[in-house]
Amino acid sequence: MSVKIHTPPVRLAKLLRTPGGLPVAEAVQRAGAGLLSLRKDCLEELKAVLEEAEAIAGRAGETFEADLLAQLYSVVSKPIGASSACGLTSVDTALISLSDLLDYLKGQQRWDANAVAVHLRAFRLLLQTEGAADAAGTQAILAGLRQISQRYARPGAGA
Amino acid sequence: MGLNPESRARFNLERASILLLEESPMGMSILVQILIGFGARTLHRCESVAEAKDAIAKVEVDLIICDALGAGGEGYDFIEWLRRSRIEPNCFAPVLLIAGHTPSNAVARARDCGAHFVMAKPLTPIAVLERILWIAREGRRFVECDTYMGPDRRFKNEGVPAGMAGRRRDDLHGEIGQAEDPNMDQEVIDSLMKTRRVEL
Repeated sequence: MSVKIHTPPVRLAKLLRTPGGLPVAEAVQRAGAGLLSLRKDCLEELKAVLEEAEAIAGRAGETFEADLLAQLYSVVSKPIGASSACGLTSVDTALISLSDLLDYLKGQQRWDANAVAVHLRAFRLLLQTEGAADAAGTQAILAGLRQISQRYARPGAGA
Repeated sequence: MGLNPESRARFNLERASILLLEESPMGMSILVQILIGFGARTLHRCESVAEAKDAIAKVEVDLIICDALGAGGEGYDFIEWLRRSRIEPNCFAPVLLIAGHTPSNAVARARDCGAHFVMAKPLTPIAVLERILWIAREGRRFVECDTYMGPDRRFKNEGVPAGMAGRRRDDLHGEIGQAEDPNMDQEVIDSLMKTRRVEL
């Protein structure tokens, strides 16, 4: 197998050094302010995601259905990152836990309606309180979700 | 890395041409707000791989920020295509791959697709800026072979893993033998370190 190693020029490096531009502190502050302006739209999108996810989960039967699980994974994993951008970090943590759970279930070709339902209820609660809930309570909810999803982290576990 | 968010150090993205590939409108809005905040002006917003490929063929880009695009990982395929496309200089452009959730079966794909850095969402402005400044560093080697094309994935040289022969010509092999020459005298070492006046 032939391997070629070379060092291509990086135009971006030169552009970043050109005079003008912004100080790091100002750029970060401007970007943060821009993200805050998205908060209302972000909340609306998360509510739509929650409703769609609940509708999909509501169609699930007792056993593993690959298509349904893939659909649910697609819906709940897509908005990860959006919640934190509008100040709802806890919602992101819940969505990551639910995505982990669905990924583990897919790998083991299993279904756990209760585990999914608990995540969706937590998602609704965290979204409704919009981060206003007490920090200790929120952390307890998130720790509980992680415990549930991590039960399936190893094949054969969670039964 | 640890970029200080209070730093007064300046950087300039005004003239950089940046391609964004993100299918979710909210995800795209987040990227746009962050980059506009950083002073970027030329953003090529692509919501699909087809749009991104089209843009790559038409305009020169200095930076690509690409989402993994769901469980199927179309974003990884796009980066692999980009590297193999031979559309210069875009095929060597710094790529920041962002992923909301990486399924366990896609971790190796994310590592091997040819991105400069894989970044997990949620994105914060300081973390994005830190990564942009890091991937823009000059002198990063590019590797081209049958199975991989992209930036060198070795971040630090700690030698060949134990029990392996190494795959590169400059990988050092074997055990360290006895010194062939006597050790340097401490006085000689001290004299090398001593500050001296230089006349030019």
